[in-house]
Amino acid sequence: MNITDIQTAFVADTRNRTAIIAGLAVLTLGGNLLAMAVGAPEGLLPLPALPLTIPIILAGYWYPRRGLLFAACFAAIYAVTTTLLSPPSSYLIYTTLLRAILLVLIGGVVAFLATKLRESEQQMNQIIEFLPDATFAIDREGRVIAWNRAIEKMTGVQKEAILGRGDYEYAIPFYGEPRPLLANRVLEGEPGTGHSPVTKNGDALVSEVYTPHLRGGRGAHIRFTATALLDRSERVTGAIESIRDVNDEVMTEVALQNASRQLNILTGILRTDLANHLAVLYGHLSLGVMKFDDPEILSFINDLNDAANGIRRRIEISREFRDIGTSPPAWIPVQQTIRKVAATLSFGGVTLDAWTERLEIFADPHLATVFTHLFENSLAPETKASRIVVTYQLRPEGCAIIVEDDGTGIPGAEKKNLFVQKTESYGHGLFLAHEILAITGIAICETGAFGTGARFEILVPSEGYRIV
Amino acid sequence: MRELRSAEFPRADEVWRDYRGMTGDPARDRIFATLLAGQIVSLARCRRHPEGLEVDGIFTPDNFRKRGYAHRTLAALVMACHNDDLYMYAVEGLAGFYAGFGFISIPERNLPSGIRERYTWAAGNMEGAEVRPMFRRAGL
Repeated sequence: MNITDIQTAFVADTRNRTAIIAGLAVLTLGGNLLAMAVGAPEGLLPLPALPLTIPIILAGYWYPRRGLLFAACFAAIYAVTTTLLSPPSSYLIYTTLLRAILLVLIGGVVAFLATKLRESEQQMNQIIEFLPDATFAIDREGRVIAWNRAIEKMTGVQKEAILGRGDYEYAIPFYGEPRPLLANRVLEGEPGTGHSPVTKNGDALVSEVYTPHLRGGRGAHIRFTATALLDRSERVTGAIESIRDVNDEVMTEVALQNASRQLNILTGILRTDLANHLAVLYGHLSLGVMKFDDPEILSFINDLNDAANGIRRRIEISREFRDIGTSPPAWIPVQQTIRKVAATLSFGGVTLDAWTERLEIFADPHLATVFTHLFENSLAPETKASRIVVTYQLRPEGCAIIVEDDGTGIPGAEKKNLFVQKTESYGHGLFLAHEILAITGIAICETGAFGTGARFEILVPSEGYRIV
Repeated sequence: MRELRSAEFPRADEVWRDYRGMTGDPARDRIFATLLAGQIVSLARCRRHPEGLEVDGIFTPDNFRKRGYAHRTLAALVMACHNDDLYMYAVEGLAGFYAGFGFISIPERNLPSGIRERYTWAAGNMEGAEVRPMFRRAGL
């Protein structure tokens, strides 16, 4: 269907409507007059006016701007002719006048409502038209009912050429062939079939594909998102689908992954190199301890040993950091993570009670490392803890996972710098824990009282936890 | 002894059938259970109301009583939910048992309104209803 076809159809449609209104007007008004002229029984006068409302309603609905004028003219003709042809009676004149007013009112109300409806449709069309994402909508039969400017720009297909088209023709710009898109799957209620994996995001279906047909044939990664159009009774009347060009995002992601991989390779080489040199240094230091017995030199060697230990610790931290952020965050069952961590640590006489059975949080896959460092700190002999308890508390701002022990706790002066990078003292690894949690917007703080034990609160935002 | 998962709530409902027909709602409740060879032998529920947490549904079927299961189950609940203040309507004869977990008797008016609603039928006559409002302050 091209623009000429649409215009022809529109003109034909307009003529048909005018003809229908004119025909009904003549029929109803003429019938009324004929009955009056022939001489209707007095008991039936005035004749029922209900049929007269049909052309008025249609005119008001189809031509809202002229609906009231049409109703007024129609009512005037009705009133004048009926008055002239009726037997002289003030009652009949009065009721005819009332009916004429009623007809005008009906015409006015229908025209007003139709105008509001058109305005609402117009607004909706404008919203779709100016959406930044390429968007189209189809009705229940799969015919295109909306095709906005962004999709015109993306596909090069003009609205006039596609409106009213069905048979999956709207898929041609993306796939080079007619085939169902996500919007069709929404209509069919069948999200499981097709060439690409489809995920559900609330009521919407989402799918990402690479298509070689966009960007002038250079290809692009695009993300489809489709959802149903519902009427007031929640019945599906169609579907709307938006298409976003995510090519730049995907390319950036790939570039970042490549850069990250290169950096990992480089740091891995440096780490190995450093470790080898460190091993040599430790060897010399061991020899030095055996070779010299001067306390001053031994103290000097001891200082060198401490410095070497510091370097070794940094190498370990850089190894732990290596993979953080490389895998996407996911919903992680907390209790299961704690169980796995507990299985790798030696608790000795310290008990662990974890009460997080139904809690899942959206976190980096290295969440286990967080619990490892928290538990290691509690298990350190200098902490003198006999019990570790893990619970959670729902708060207006989210969920707090609380890891507490009954050890000595953390002095107030140390709390400030608890999560900054350092190698010695209580808190080793807390910087790492902090960084892992921060990836998904999770905070961590220490709220315990020195002397009664450490209490770490992992603060998960509202959208980052769920009770399953 | 552990917290039940949502999918296990119907099992708890089954046990509670003999106990005032109580049921668990995964959206509001945490249910703690002692299990013996996979069978639930004791239950306790912690229900979230807008104004506070209510402990109830502490129940051990007749054939498993006098073995300390209820004590263990309630201890688990108290530990798991210790970050919040806990409220309950204790059966009069068990007030001493709950006192062992740190619950103290309070006037009914001190209960959060959502929890108080359960016993509006008693019209304030707690003794007549043979229950006693109790409270446990947050903390291990």
